[in-house]
Amino acid sequence: MYALEINNVSKVYDNKFTALDDVSFKLTSGDFVGLLGVNGAGKTTLISAISGISSYHGQIKVMGIDLKKNLVAAKKNMGIVPQEIAFDPFTTVYQTLKLQSGLYGVKNNKSWLDEVIVWMHLEDKIDANTRSLSGGMKRRLMVAQALVHKPPLIILDEPTAGVDVEIRKNLWDFIAGLHQQGHTILLTTHYLEEVEKFCNHIVMIDKGKVIARSSKEELNLKANGMPTIFEVETKDGLFLDELRSLLISTENNKYTLRLANNDQMMLVLNQLMAGGIKIENMNISKPKLEDIFLNYLGH
Amino acid sequence: MPFIALIKKEIFRFSSIWVQTILGPLATALLYQLIFGHQLSSVSTGVAHINYATFLIPGLVIMQVLLNSFGNSSSSLIQSKYTGNIIFILMAPISSRSIYSAYLLSSIIRGLVVGAAVYLGIVWFGAFELQHLWAVLYFAFMGAAITAGLGMIAGIVCEKFDQLAGFQSFVMVPLIYLSGIFFNIQHFSPFWKKLAMLDPFLYIVDGFRYGFIGAANFDIMYGALFVLIFAIIANGIGFGLLKRGIKF
Repeated sequence: MYALEINNVSKVYDNKFTALDDVSFKLTSGDFVGLLGVNGAGKTTLISAISGISSYHGQIKVMGIDLKKNLVAAKKNMGIVPQEIAFDPFTTVYQTLKLQSGLYGVKNNKSWLDEVIVWMHLEDKIDANTRSLSGGMKRRLMVAQALVHKPPLIILDEPTAGVDVEIRKNLWDFIAGLHQQGHTILLTTHYLEEVEKFCNHIVMIDKGKVIARSSKEELNLKANGMPTIFEVETKDGLFLDELRSLLISTENNKYTLRLANNDQMMLVLNQLMAGGIKIENMNISKPKLEDIFLNYLGH
Repeated sequence: MPFIALIKKEIFRFSSIWVQTILGPLATALLYQLIFGHQLSSVSTGVAHINYATFLIPGLVIMQVLLNSFGNSSSSLIQSKYTGNIIFILMAPISSRSIYSAYLLSSIIRGLVVGAAVYLGIVWFGAFELQHLWAVLYFAFMGAAITAGLGMIAGIVCEKFDQLAGFQSFVMVPLIYLSGIFFNIQHFSPFWKKLAMLDPFLYIVDGFRYGFIGAANFDIMYGALFVLIFAIIANGIGFGLLKRGIKF
């Protein structure tokens, strides 16, 4: 069962700007997928289309329900945290969540709301007017609003932007907990370490097109084929002349080399040992998700 | 039920700022009644046995019904767009029809609540017995439905508060002031009378006042039909715009 199916989705604005160009990917139930792209890549446009706010060509299905055929039923199955901060200036935190529950037709969910409020660290603010909340608190309230109906599919558009480090960690613990309970999660964020840590699949989008789509393991394999930074510290500062072309920098007895891939690293190690160089210390910096992402973008 | 939840949300919104939404219009109507009702007490109303203070009361009541129904839907929408909160309504599992109906109904409720408050506040200045309750209820409801629909159109189309203020100043206020709230249009000059007859609010005010004093300038059934048609057109356009999507 797919929690989300995006089939050949395109979006062209009145001014002929193509925001989405034949985008297709699927999220299996229980997936935690990171949607990556630079600003203006089309991530938020895609989320607007999924949320039913923006029109599009193609097909989007949520829990098997085609948005164009039964938008209301599809919406019941997803909770979306929008990117821009939004709040109702007339209500308190608790009233906001109660009213939001009503909009999803959910009654008698006080215990769940209490749980979400505690996770979002808003328990001291339940009677505070939303206008009085800080930016980070407003964002946490938005996450809580998206969860009032316990949706099977949760879409988070930059949920931790403007949230301080400690609260961000708590928020991620909560989201990871939701994932463990079986919720499917689609996430966009600029914090690539969060994607690396939590997501099991990654979709990369650029100029409205999907440029890469793979599991984290597949990306790691790809990383093995990408340039690797290799630092080696030798005894007495000795080094082989034939390897100097690979050097990026030298500092005392420490040599930093850029290698094409992991295979070349093994060759270099063998060469150093065969040349009688005694290695005191070494360090390998594998490409990070950011490097892989930039590699896909052609930077 | 999401539809009921949205109505509750809207009623909560306007009742939480009751000083602005209920007390304000009541104070305005009282001032109009005190100043105009007293200063223009010798003005002929064109209706036998009805003095100006009595003639003015239904006009002031329906004026507040019309203005507040318009104000509710338009300001709620534009405020939600401004704070971005509209996204939580648009993303919720509610059909466009339910969203529109909820905004429309809650705006009508606000118009009628304010109208009732104003009536209770100024009825003491006049001397009449209610003549046709059906006409009072029908024209108040339809008038509120028309201006709520116009408020929906303004709230959807306008992107800024000043655009909405422009709509109110250059569309709503002239239509209301030309509709015979303060004077019998039979006293207007021929040019203004012809112009006023194009104003749909004229038939709302005429029919509503007929309910109180039993006299009207136009055929009451013709007026009832005209406002019904206008309510359908205004809300048809409003609903069409909502279905097309709200920019925010």
